[in-house]
Amino acid sequence: MRAAEQSVIQRVSQKVIANAVPWALAGVVFLIVPLLLPGFLQGMMSKFLIFAIFSMSYNVVAGYTGLVSLGQAAYFGVAGYAVALLMYHFGIDSLWVTAPIGILMGTVVAAAFGPLVLRVSGLYFLILTFALGRLCYSIAWNVPWLNCPGMQGIAGLPQPNLGFPGFKWSYLSFYFFTLIAFAIAMFLQYRLSKSPFGHSLAGIREGEARMEALGFNVWLHKYIAFIIGGAFAGVAGVLFVYYNRFIEPAHLDIMFSFLPMCMVIIGGPGTLWGPAVGAGVIVFVEYYSSVMIPQRWPLVLGGLFVFAIMFARKGLAVYAASGWRKAEARLWRR
Amino acid sequence: MFLTTLVNGIAYGVVLFLIASGMSIVMGVMGISNLAHGALYMVGAYVGWQVFKGFHWPFIVAVLLGGVAGGLVGLFIERIFLRRLYKQPNEQVLLTFGFVYIITNICLWIWRGWSRLPFTASVLFRPIIIGNQRFAPSRLVLILIGVVLAVGLWYLQDRTRLGAMVRAGMDDKEMAQGLGINMERVSMIVFFIASFIAGLAGVLGAQVMGVNLELGTNILVLALVVVIVGGIGSIQGAFVGGLLIGVVDTFGKALFPQMAMFTIYLAMVIVLVVRPRGLLGRGG
Repeated sequence: MRAAEQSVIQRVSQKVIANAVPWALAGVVFLIVPLLLPGFLQGMMSKFLIFAIFSMSYNVVAGYTGLVSLGQAAYFGVAGYAVALLMYHFGIDSLWVTAPIGILMGTVVAAAFGPLVLRVSGLYFLILTFALGRLCYSIAWNVPWLNCPGMQGIAGLPQPNLGFPGFKWSYLSFYFFTLIAFAIAMFLQYRLSKSPFGHSLAGIREGEARMEALGFNVWLHKYIAFIIGGAFAGVAGVLFVYYNRFIEPAHLDIMFSFLPMCMVIIGGPGTLWGPAVGAGVIVFVEYYSSVMIPQRWPLVLGGLFVFAIMFARKGLAVYAASGWRKAEARLWRR
Repeated sequence: MFLTTLVNGIAYGVVLFLIASGMSIVMGVMGISNLAHGALYMVGAYVGWQVFKGFHWPFIVAVLLGGVAGGLVGLFIERIFLRRLYKQPNEQVLLTFGFVYIITNICLWIWRGWSRLPFTASVLFRPIIIGNQRFAPSRLVLILIGVVLAVGLWYLQDRTRLGAMVRAGMDDKEMAQGLGINMERVSMIVFFIASFIAGLAGVLGAQVMGVNLELGTNILVLALVVVIVGGIGSIQGAFVGGLLIGVVDTFGKALFPQMAMFTIYLAMVIVLVVRPRGLLGRGG
């Protein structure tokens, strides 16, 4: 009797610790560490969270659904351009107007491109998404209304106006603003992955023909996942313009489509924390290597990609989780 | 003026064909999206510049050595890394794009950042004048080489034993292996030939575009556009697509300079809306 009670207590406390330690760790990293950092590193933390949201967009499309897209920057950049144009041409800087319109634009463009790209799959899907992203890039490059005079892109954008009198942005307040967006995005990604819809997406990734045979409307599932990916990318694009206060055609281009792809694969595709882990690794490796060895940082970044693919293919988040589980098991055996 | 622009457009199209043919075949045969293909072109272009401008060796030697350099780097990537990533498109894309970063940075290390002007053999300098039209002989030679290579590649793919193995591998890799074809070796040979042509195209293309560090990504983008328009896995498709894009781009730049770039993407999207698998893409 006594032994049974003890084992119940032990099991409950084991479970509490197993869950509490990762949460406490995340709390320290996201809530406490930024308070102690110098301003420019708080800025880097914001950038990291923005790219984490951008990576979630790719994670929904490629990680969960298995659609390898090479044009995720299109939705990111269109949302960013929408905000930048509202600010530059119409003088609207209210957060409550620009953010919804920006996110809506990213979603609408994804919804418009979806039927075109979902006619094909595999390699053709890859290059079709790339082609449409490239079309957006060339439009942004060529249309004068989308550029400041004498340059490519729109510069000198104001910070978003929250509408509270007397409020001024600082690195820290902007960080916590992005943290709220990140938390909401994480929650939505979590709900999505646990929902029946999310499970059918994983089913499509693992065996499309089987899902078709089971009577699922595979095309519609893919299309909705694609639109959700566009919405996530739109959120990231809006935040990125607030952070960067400058947007250029390159933000729609292939390089910016690669970044979330690399982050998701390095972090762990199809996992909850993969995008955030990958975004953290890439943003900070890029930042520190560009500060310490400015001539050689592409070599470091390229080497990181090759290393991650050859030796850590499941993604760092997966390794971290299994490492923690092993450490925990060892803890209780003592 | 029209004729000169047309010749320039076709010459540019031939360079695009050379780049895209290798990429297209590698995609078709091995299912590999090799995003380092543009970087291999750049390696060829730099080696060619070094041999021709640095060592003052003949242009034809520069072209061949550029091809060999591209081929060897490609072979290295395939043998050590890509071979282990069969049927993993996500991973292939990331790995080969990592190599774009690495190769570009190593080229910066060796050759410094300044961009090289277009160069060519001295016999090809003097323009040929027919009537009141002026033609650059380097462009005409380029077109000739392109057509010869296109016919050679088509012959290799459609009329030889190796080509038959390649096509068998495209249709059903497991079945081809079951029939005793060593697909591993076929893949290696195909990858080497594709990389060799990329390096060769680098030196030939340097006559038109010069050599600089942006080539790795710019050429990749152009190659993808041509592969999309022509269709994956088809030599004829790459040839038609390359010429189409080359001519459209050259005329676009001459007629509507403010719409530069936009024209080729517009052409590409139109082709895709009509034929999602490209003009001459293989079925499936």
